[in-house]
Amino acid sequence: MGRSSKDKRDIYYRLAKEEGWRARSAFKLLQLDEQFSLFAGVRRAVDLCAAPGSWSQVLSRKLRGKEPKDTEEKKEEPKIVAVDLQAMAPLPGVTQIQGDITKTSTAQEIIKHFEGQPADIVVCDGAPDVTGLHDVDEYIQAQLLLAALNITTHVLKPGGTFVAKIFRGKDVTLLYSQLKIFFSEVTCAKPRSSRNSSIEAFAVCQNYCPPSGYIPNMSNPLLDHCYDVDFNQLEGPNRIIVPFLACGDLSAYDSDRTYPLQLDPSKEYKYTPPTQPPIRPPYEQACHLRKNNLLATEDSPCRPLDGAFSNLHLSANEDSEMTSEVDAASLSAEAAHQDTVV
Amino acid sequence: MASPDTAVSALLVAPVTALEFLGDDCLLAGKGPVLSAYSLRAPSVKSASLSVLRNHRVHGIRPERRDRGVSAEVAAEEEPLGSSWQQRVQLVVFGGKALRLVELGGSEAFDLRTLGPVRELQDWVLDVRWVGGAAHLLGVALAHNAVLLLEAWEGHVLLRSSCEDGCLLYSALLVGPCWQSLTVVGGTVFNQLVIWRPTVTTGSGRTAPVERRLKGHSGVIFGLAYLPERGWLASASDDRSVRVWGVGPLGGAAGCGDPSPTCLQVLYGHQARVFSVTLLPVGVLSAGEDGVCLLWDCGSGKVSRALNGHRVGGVRALAVSSGWGGRSPQVATGGADGGIRLWSLGETDGGQVEAELVQDLEFQGGGSPKVVRMVWGGVKRHWGVVASTDQGEVYLWEEGSGWQLLWRGGREGAASSRGALCAVGSLSGDVWLFPLSQPARGTLLRAGLGKVHSVLWEGDREQRAGHLLVSGPEGLVRRWLVKPELGEGAVSLDCVPLRSFLLPPCAKRWLTAAILVPQPQGALWVCGDRRGSLLLYRDSDEGGEAVGDALRPLSVLFGVHGKQGVTSVCEHRGLLYSTGRDGCLRVSRVGDGGGGQLEVLRVQRACGGMDWLERVVIREPEGEGDACFLLMGFHSVHFEVWDLLRRERLLSVPCGGGHRSWSYCPPGGGSAEDGSAVVFVKQGAVLASRTPADTSHPSGASLELEGGLHGRGITCVCHLGAVRAAGDRWEVLATGGEDTRVSVLAVRPQNGAVKVLAVIADHISSVRALAALRRQDGGGGATSLSALLFSAGGRAQLQCCRLLIGGKEQVGSLSCQVIQVARHRLDEHWERRRNRHKLVKMDPETRYMSLSVVSHTAEQVFLAAACSDGVLFSVSESGGKFHLLWDCSYHQRCVLSVASCCLEDPEGNELFVISAATDGIIAFWDMTGVTDVEDGQTAPPSYAGKFIPAHQSGVNTLALWEGPWEGQEAEPAGHSWMTIASGGDDGQLSVIRIQVQLRPREMGGSGVSLKLWSRSALPSAHAAPLTALCFLSPALLVSTSPDQRVCLWNLCASSLGHGGVLFSHVADAAGLAVWKGTEAESGPKGSAWVAVCGQGLQVLRLKEERDAGKRTE
Repeated sequence: MGRSSKDKRDIYYRLAKEEGWRARSAFKLLQLDEQFSLFAGVRRAVDLCAAPGSWSQVLSRKLRGKEPKDTEEKKEEPKIVAVDLQAMAPLPGVTQIQGDITKTSTAQEIIKHFEGQPADIVVCDGAPDVTGLHDVDEYIQAQLLLAALNITTHVLKPGGTFVAKIFRGKDVTLLYSQLKIFFSEVTCAKPRSSRNSSIEAFAVCQNYCPPSGYIPNMSNPLLDHCYDVDFNQLEGPNRIIVPFLACGDLSAYDSDRTYPLQLDPSKEYKYTPPTQPPIRPPYEQACHLRKNNLLATEDSPCRPLDGAFSNLHLSANEDSEMTSEVDAASLSAEAAHQDTVV
Repeated sequence: MASPDTAVSALLVAPVTALEFLGDDCLLAGKGPVLSAYSLRAPSVKSASLSVLRNHRVHGIRPERRDRGVSAEVAAEEEPLGSSWQQRVQLVVFGGKALRLVELGGSEAFDLRTLGPVRELQDWVLDVRWVGGAAHLLGVALAHNAVLLLEAWEGHVLLRSSCEDGCLLYSALLVGPCWQSLTVVGGTVFNQLVIWRPTVTTGSGRTAPVERRLKGHSGVIFGLAYLPERGWLASASDDRSVRVWGVGPLGGAAGCGDPSPTCLQVLYGHQARVFSVTLLPVGVLSAGEDGVCLLWDCGSGKVSRALNGHRVGGVRALAVSSGWGGRSPQVATGGADGGIRLWSLGETDGGQVEAELVQDLEFQGGGSPKVVRMVWGGVKRHWGVVASTDQGEVYLWEEGSGWQLLWRGGREGAASSRGALCAVGSLSGDVWLFPLSQPARGTLLRAGLGKVHSVLWEGDREQRAGHLLVSGPEGLVRRWLVKPELGEGAVSLDCVPLRSFLLPPCAKRWLTAAILVPQPQGALWVCGDRRGSLLLYRDSDEGGEAVGDALRPLSVLFGVHGKQGVTSVCEHRGLLYSTGRDGCLRVSRVGDGGGGQLEVLRVQRACGGMDWLERVVIREPEGEGDACFLLMGFHSVHFEVWDLLRRERLLSVPCGGGHRSWSYCPPGGGSAEDGSAVVFVKQGAVLASRTPADTSHPSGASLELEGGLHGRGITCVCHLGAVRAAGDRWEVLATGGEDTRVSVLAVRPQNGAVKVLAVIADHISSVRALAALRRQDGGGGATSLSALLFSAGGRAQLQCCRLLIGGKEQVGSLSCQVIQVARHRLDEHWERRRNRHKLVKMDPETRYMSLSVVSHTAEQVFLAAACSDGVLFSVSESGGKFHLLWDCSYHQRCVLSVASCCLEDPEGNELFVISAATDGIIAFWDMTGVTDVEDGQTAPPSYAGKFIPAHQSGVNTLALWEGPWEGQEAEPAGHSWMTIASGGDDGQLSVIRIQVQLRPREMGGSGVSLKLWSRSALPSAHAAPLTALCFLSPALLVSTSPDQRVCLWNLCASSLGHGGVLFSHVADAAGLAVWKGTEAESGPKGSAWVAVCGQGLQVLRLKEERDAGKRTE
């Protein structure tokens, strides 16, 4: 299989490269916006777990793209803040915060960028490093969403919108019941660019209205709910299932379909290289060793590369200050390289 | 309506997520919510299983620690249970957000008993430790880096302590004898290890500070282990490495150990992520996604041993026994495929065992060795090596005595030895035959004028007489019956010439393999030649010297093994097995009652990507059980031996690759103490590789406590019928998986037994759809079953095979014969189409998404297939070929599902195909004309006029019921009804009822009109995509979804009602199959069984005692 074979199998991967998006997931936000008009009247937007930045790209193009017409809008450029542990290539009109979404300081920094104003919308497309065991992966994804929800309660204006990736697995009704505490309208939305076979969907939570007297608190994590006997049963007819909405035009490309390389008879297919090189994946070193036949065998130990040993001898807490800065947003790393245009 | 009343789980195959030894003679395993106890004692104690965690998966099992007077001493508290644990042991079983106390007892049979209810916690449990003697106090590590002190009997949380670093953990480990001195090691989402103590809190938040922080991993930490004797901490990571840290003593008075811990080793050796790690005084054991368990020598960082056995999907659980009382430690591995294996780490495992094994036999004769053969017996009753050289000399090597010249002749052509006899062919057509013990007493045979290309022996070692086959020039194979006779201490050879065989004309015209197969009508010879042909000859005792007298083959499969030749042939239970340098194993038989033609039933690619197969050896089991198929061949620079059925590599010797003369002796081949041995020639040297006999298992591999299924997701399941063996009724299922395999299984849901009857590895990509056609139905009492199984999947591949499943009434064993009938790939087919320029090109990257048998006749089967490129098409299978009948690109989107039905009509049956795609539209097609292929012309199906939007997005599954439904008024003449249920990605269940009006065919166009009669829908039937749906009766539907619920739905005339729900332990549920139980087994009301597949397989039993079920039949 050549380099064009992924182009054949995945139409959105190919379109993302051709249209200059950093990842195919950009189409998901565009299609969510088509359905929900997420960006109508939005002046301040937050993108959590932003790397490699495709959703920030969408925010940037959508919010800044339209020329302000009346004088009122001219006063203020829309503000976009992207939060991630990793640095990413700069985007026009997007302020980057390199920080951890579980820290109050990050929330304060976001508000500072908005000059004390709360955000109109918070989006999060982060996904964790997966283990392949569905119960574990679903749990960790839920914790990422709840961490995003927690920081959202610090920065979102009442009536605002929160959009986050969810896995529709065995305990998704527990997440729905948690989200419904904070938002009057929760919808499970599936953009047509998200594959039919994938359990991924997006919780579109509209009209932020926290319970009266709710005080945002980041010192304890928000935990997901438990099954109860009456309203959210483990086995029984009563479960909290939110409405489902498929997003995107039916005439849009079908992410499950295989398309021929030549989509348009009048235009010759041309291979487009990826927009951005991949983010450094955790297995980088292992792959390098394998490629160079340096993995350990019966005959020889593995020979790690230069520098691998230089940071082995550590004493405790020596640089914990630095590391505590680096935090939960690295959860987004896997999400990024799963979907990244590579 | 409560679920336990409607359905119960009968059988579960799921990833093994927890393993724990109890002493040396009991292994505990967690699979889904089920805890199992296996006895490792001999004679074996019956194992036991119990579902303990309801909707949670077991991730860990911790036996109580014997109360040895709780002391602060670290060494004392770590003392494990003795080799024979006491009569009763309490265990804490945890997983997800729950834990439960369980008691294990029993001496004749294990007995598992839960103590109290499932204790649900607020957060995910990563580790549990007994911290208070008999008081049931547990330390519980949670995923947000907090620890609870839990009184387990009542379920009270006594204390809670959080770390200042409140980030998410992927793994945690508790060390220490009691709560006061407990130490926590956490593997964080930020790729670090943090060590802290719950009782040391500071600051206003009363959180505990991180006391040590270990950095170095570049991925999250999946597994942790601590060895107090050495003060080693090991971590397994997403970055595919294992790191060993010197942390000193942890827990107890020592607290967090060494103030400046160091990294002792970075172990890169796995090919994928590492999930678990344990520590032994001799080294580190790690296992992960690549399915290999590596034993590391911690000092050198080398791999001491690689335990290889699990299928794709990898190892999910790992445990090692203490090796109490001088016994060697045992390792247990649990796979994502549901299999559990046990390995013995012998005392010899000091490392470098395998490296020393290739030994140069230091050949000392003249010339260079060309052909080597291993021989047994001889003078010393040991194995020896016979080598013939390019100088025409034959040497014998024996243990202890080295090389000796046996025989000297002219320049040789080929040599072969059998038992104690040796035959050497020369360039001039002479064949020298002599006993190895008395080389001087040889005889000279003449095999024509010209080079002897090959010399072959046929006959068992034990037999006195054997056949010698010598291939000479012009394709003539001379044969002799050789009988060695012992008289007065000297051996004399009696050689009776037999009629020669004539090989078919070709360039490389000599035999490479031959066996004699006894048949009722007279024995037959099955031979393979260098040209890759399989040949069948009649056995004949007549002599005959002239070329004209030579026997010609009865049947020739010319070049069937490719141009590189056949390498071996053997026979087993009436079937012929041949291997070739094309890397294929072919299973064939002699058709027409033994006197007829050779026909290939099945072609199998070798295991592990071996591209050059040398031999297949079939070993009968010693007692009950299945025969063992050993495949030998070359894989790049290695000589490998594989167990074909278990798909497991038994031996790998770095010999340099193919081409060379070699000889293999399986374990126990010479005498019982011998291990296996391989001898080969490399660069003029004779090298030998010997593996010591492994006492734990005859083939030198691991002991399989539990067999595995597909390691990755199972995408489809299909019920084929039932067979009876030894009075038991077995249900036969076929499953297709992402691991590109199709498995044929026999399950006995009454006792939860599963047997894999056959694994078909013909697909090159993921298998996505199965459809079956049973040829005859003998009911549940039949002892055999025949079915045609169609499988389809990625890379536009469609396969058809016939399965013959038979039970043996006495032994209780089942066998499955697989006969390949037809295969098809779109791109191959495309090239042959005449009018292809007019048609939409179907892309070879297309995936088949769904498959349905439309109709069948005695000779032909019509199928409908859904493709990911938007094409729906119909094929027929007849005479071993697939024929494309019709295709249609109406959907223009990925077609996800297809179903079909046949309505009876006085003028012939009306065939319908129903298809649905990712846009949620269901389309109806009248296929009646398409299958009328008598005149070779097919009419395009007249589209039957209905496209019904039913879902917001993809329709994953369609189910269909023909006929009227409950409460339906009398059927007007010429009308039929069908009910179509569909499940979508939107989680909706929708039911459409259609009235079909049949019109006389003469009116032209479609003979039918369809009328939408009623429709109903439940928008939130499932919380996740509805992926599979089946009718149990016209009033009862079963559905499943990745939300892991199996739901029952009652269909009334106009509405859908909830009929019960059961939590399923199959994650990512993708397929369903249903069947009715027999009356004898479940009473007159009948019961039904549901099989759910996904990340595993579960069979549920439905008690169909509801009104809906009763009314219908």
